[in-house]
Amino acid sequence: MKKILLEYASMLAFTITGLVFGLSFFLLFINFYHMEELAETVDIASYNDTNKASVENKINQIKNNISVYEQSNYQGSLNIYGLNTVKSRLENCVEIIESDDMMNYFDLDQIGINDSYNFTLDFRNKILNDCLVMQVTSMINTDTVESLPNFNLIKPYIQIDLDNLLNSYNYVQNNIENSDHYYFTTETNKTNFFDLVEDSYTETMNNYQSTLDLLVEISNWYRYTVIGG
Amino acid sequence: MKKIFNGLFYGLKFLLLVAAFGLTLFILIRMNMRLNKDITSIISEFVPFAILLILFFVNILFKQKNISKNLFYNLTCCLVLSTIIVVALRSLLDTNMVLNEKYGYGVDFNFFDNFIAYIKIMLYGLSIANIFFMFREKEEEKVIVNKKPKKLKKA
Repeated sequence: MKKILLEYASMLAFTITGLVFGLSFFLLFINFYHMEELAETVDIASYNDTNKASVENKINQIKNNISVYEQSNYQGSLNIYGLNTVKSRLENCVEIIESDDMMNYFDLDQIGINDSYNFTLDFRNKILNDCLVMQVTSMINTDTVESLPNFNLIKPYIQIDLDNLLNSYNYVQNNIENSDHYYFTTETNKTNFFDLVEDSYTETMNNYQSTLDLLVEISNWYRYTVIGG
Repeated sequence: MKKIFNGLFYGLKFLLLVAAFGLTLFILIRMNMRLNKDITSIISEFVPFAILLILFFVNILFKQKNISKNLFYNLTCCLVLSTIIVVALRSLLDTNMVLNEKYGYGVDFNFFDNFIAYIKIMLYGLSIANIFFMFREKEEEKVIVNKKPKKLKKA
């Protein structure tokens, strides 16, 4: 009897040791995998060149569109307070977009997880908060701007775009912040669904371009309003 | 060869236990300081370390060969303690973890916090296995009797 119990004790000891061995082996190597994945860098030189050209083109478009109005030369009948407001708000947005903090991202040849994260934060703080919320949202709720021709037609579209853009960064930011935790991804998931560094950067860049598209649309409306009035 | 590896892992596990304990203590104290919590609240986290250390000393004191000569157990101890050290070092030094950079505490508590449960599971597992190994049947020692050569009687 004693011998059987001792055999069971031995068997249990080896079983527990084996399970602990398996768990620690798994955790050790998933740590190395996780470390390697977070240390990943992505070459974005050509992607950035394309996007930089597109951004510069859109900025020039906005600048050209708002340059049609000068208060000192304006002979039209439209509300000059409204025209001044739109112009100054768009100028402020262009200034933010052209700031070194934002343009420096286009000079990067390679990015890591921290660059993707910082880009998302800067996009949220500077482009969404400082430009879209502080300038565009407050502009569309101004009485003098609302009195401008056709503004009521484009206002709902601007509002929809603003709502979409203001919620666009949440997923990317949360996803990167959660990358500090263990997650059991596979190569298939990684290639098919979401590559943390590259896809986060691309997603934010797409939202950045959409913001510029919105500003271009507003500036186009502004141009035709000034010329027509 | 087996004896060399066994000796290596047997000695190494003590060094790794001290290192793993030190790093865990440092991180948990920093975590508690940040939260302004009482230091006594982290004592329970160190119970598995203390139990394992006591069992190691019991193994030495009673010269338990079932454990000291058990290569698999000693290797598992080293692997578990190395894993704890790797995780602790990553939470301190891995700058690619964005929350470490974001909050600037110098320790990624979120990452380490995930791991505390695993640390406890593995250390308690090793302690229980150690206790079971103590009850293993003793191998019968073969006594080699050196027979003295008989003296030949002179005829």
